[in-house]
Amino acid sequence: MRNYPHTKSFFLAIAWLLTAIVSQAQTTQSSPQQRFEQANQLFSQSKYTEAAKTYQQLLDEGHTQKELYFNAGNAWYKAGKNGQAIYNYEKALQLSPNDAAVKHNLAIANQKVNGFVEELPLVFFQQWWLQLQHLHKANGWAIGTVLFWWLLIAGILLNTYVPGWKNKFLRWGNYALGALFALYLLMAVDTYLTSNNHQSGIVMNSNIKAKTSPDENSRDAFEVGEGMKVHITDATADFCKIELADGKNGWISCAYIKRL
Amino acid sequence: MMYRYSIRKCIYSILFCLGLVACASAQEFRFTTTVSNNTVTQDEPFQIQFMLENGVNVASFTPPSFKDFEVLQGPSQMQGQSIFNGKRSEYIALSYLLQPKHVGSFTIAGAQARVNGNIVKSNPVLIEVRKGNAQPQQQQSPSPSAGFPPHRGQSGGEDLPEGFLKKGEDINEKLKKNIFLKVDVDKTNLYEGEQLTATYKLYTRLPTNSSVTKVPAFKGFSAKDIELPNPPQATEERINGIPYKVFTIRKTLLFPLQSGTLELDPVEVDNQVRLVKLVSKKGGNRPKDPFEDFFNDPAFKDPFFDDFFNRPETEYQDVPYKIQSAPIKINVKPVPVEDRPVSYNGAVGKFNMTAVIDKNKLTTDDALTLKVTVSGQGNVNLLNSPKIEVPTGFDKYDPKVTDNIEKNSNPLSGSRTFEYVLMPQEAGDHTIPAVEFSYFDPVANSYKTLRSQPFPVHIEQGKHIKQDKQDFSAGKNELVRNSTGIPDWTRNHSWFLLSPWFYILLLLPVLIAAGLIFYKRRKDYNTTNAAMLKHRYANKVALKRLELAARYLKEGKDKAFYEETSRAVWGYLSSKLKIPMADLSKQLVQDKLSARSINGSNTHDLFNLIDNCEVALYAPGQDNRKMQGTYEQAVTIITNLEGALKN
Repeated sequence: MRNYPHTKSFFLAIAWLLTAIVSQAQTTQSSPQQRFEQANQLFSQSKYTEAAKTYQQLLDEGHTQKELYFNAGNAWYKAGKNGQAIYNYEKALQLSPNDAAVKHNLAIANQKVNGFVEELPLVFFQQWWLQLQHLHKANGWAIGTVLFWWLLIAGILLNTYVPGWKNKFLRWGNYALGALFALYLLMAVDTYLTSNNHQSGIVMNSNIKAKTSPDENSRDAFEVGEGMKVHITDATADFCKIELADGKNGWISCAYIKRL
Repeated sequence: MMYRYSIRKCIYSILFCLGLVACASAQEFRFTTTVSNNTVTQDEPFQIQFMLENGVNVASFTPPSFKDFEVLQGPSQMQGQSIFNGKRSEYIALSYLLQPKHVGSFTIAGAQARVNGNIVKSNPVLIEVRKGNAQPQQQQSPSPSAGFPPHRGQSGGEDLPEGFLKKGEDINEKLKKNIFLKVDVDKTNLYEGEQLTATYKLYTRLPTNSSVTKVPAFKGFSAKDIELPNPPQATEERINGIPYKVFTIRKTLLFPLQSGTLELDPVEVDNQVRLVKLVSKKGGNRPKDPFEDFFNDPAFKDPFFDDFFNRPETEYQDVPYKIQSAPIKINVKPVPVEDRPVSYNGAVGKFNMTAVIDKNKLTTDDALTLKVTVSGQGNVNLLNSPKIEVPTGFDKYDPKVTDNIEKNSNPLSGSRTFEYVLMPQEAGDHTIPAVEFSYFDPVANSYKTLRSQPFPVHIEQGKHIKQDKQDFSAGKNELVRNSTGIPDWTRNHSWFLLSPWFYILLLLPVLIAAGLIFYKRRKDYNTTNAAMLKHRYANKVALKRLELAARYLKEGKDKAFYEETSRAVWGYLSSKLKIPMADLSKQLVQDKLSARSINGSNTHDLFNLIDNCEVALYAPGQDNRKMQGTYEQAVTIITNLEGALKN
């Protein structure tokens, strides 16, 4: 029985390990809504870094809710990670481009960006296009495409083979259906392409010197600050060519950029 | 002359009385001879003075004979008394202005005086006379040592013999020799940011009235002036054994801001040098004198006054003279690159650092102050704020900088304090990392890094008092609150556009439509094809029927034979001409055939045959031979029609 204390501690360790695993399992099993609320709770207790990490976990699991991005942006902002904050705000804005709250908070976060250059506001038809893009959810356009295709084919069949339906109203209806089908197909493809377009990103590190060529030893062109939104126009294995809103061009390491 | 002597006697008696009064205090008795210059040129006047100090009962004062000299002026007598440290002394002086007659060495014997009954003699002096410049000059009448103008500001020495402009002397040469500027620097080769002391000095042996007209700008340096005493005080310095009065114009601590060869700008000084010119009495043009008018008053037109006050026969000349110091080149090295610490930001010298925080337990409503004090010697006035790595969850504001620099310290020493205000945003335990400060020590020629302790801070959640306050001012810079709604927790959606179902669903109606069309086509085809087949096989059907009729013919069943033959013909016509059975009539058949331009014998035979058959059906009893003929006729007609209709 000399060994007794050792065995006891061993069992304790096992028990502790088990509870740890169980609790881990429980946290992973708890619903996203619960964890979302838990993170909100942390946020209201001013524990911003923890809150941000919880939001980030949810995002990493593949949840892409605007509210989630928005709250994560707020938490990162409060925790002082401006780059992460702006990234999340931009993501939220991609999901709903006309959300006033997101726009407002993004503007506040951008105030802290060194050398921030405001992008030109969209021209009215770009606005319309953006609004049109968000008329349906991403898959809404595809479903619409299928629906209108069925209706179009049914209409054509009726118009050609059923003697009672052979009238010009139905024919015009078919033209309209065809146009709608084309539009929905176009929009479905467009939304897919735009949401898979990662040609812009947010700079995640501060005080980075953009180089004139993709080489660490080349001349410094300008400085980019954390949280700056850049467009990636070209890339080598390590370096990305970035373009700022004011037209400046330079190369920085791709590791500094988180693509949107 | 008599008059003068009687006056003198009178004075002597006064002196005598004074001497009686003063004799109680036995003073040191001195009787000396002084000359302004021991070596003179032949045409240079010089002054000789016999001074009798503290003489008691001066009975007579006999000057020596000046047989080798011409007396230009004199004798002039001065007397007076002075109280020095409570001791009273009185003096009688007799002075002459002499000009040598010959070249050579001469000894002027001392003067004789009877003092207190004893005869005393002053010391003899040796005068060396050289051959003078041939340049003829106006005869000058020298003045005794008095009479220099009072000077203000930083000006030259008093009563310096250089104040005389000697005969034949070049003014510029003299000025150049006796007034100049000098810049002293303690080093000319140093590091960027290292201290350099530059002193601008004015050296003079002449009475001048000087003012600085151009001060150096110190381009490329940060300058800090050392305060100088006002009014300036002269010090004496010997250069090559010659004493100069030295005035410090400017003393500055300089810190080079860039590397390379920098130049200290020259300083410019405007001097008004007052030189004394001796003017000859004989020349008749007496010097212009501020007192002239006064003395021209008839009441003073008196030789006694003239002699007693002994107005010097001199002329002042104010010579403007501008001087400039020589520019000095300073070689500034950049601070070494190797081993340069990351936290280095320009401090050069020798420093200490302290860093403190005012509290380590606070709420998110409070503010934390981190105070970093850097003290020591070096470019204290140029120190940049050390970079503070603030952990996330703190808002940092620009530091408040306070200087405490010791006045007139050389090398520059003092301290600079940086106060960082940190606003905690996040509750919890945080650690403010150690403050790091690096400087370059030019003496040790190396970098030194100072580090403080890290500061653990415990922060608790405050009551958001600040936010409530800020809410009054429209909250322009406040974040919109978190959204707390219940979002739709669907995972990252898959793209329906990419799923096979999208394409299947697109293809499906096409397939259905294609199927329907095919079915319809098939149906239509079938309906049209039946008629065509009938037409094609009409001949065969007819021939089959005729075969049946031929059997009936053999069996002798005449009724059945005619029936079958008629059916074969009508059936053939119906199929071939696409006329339904019910509509068949002779007239219609004839129309159809003529439409197809089949006329003549065929049609005639056909109708003959049909008539025969009908007659035979309704009037039986035909013979076998006739039946055979009808059969052959039917076969021939159908064959012929077939040929005609094919075309």
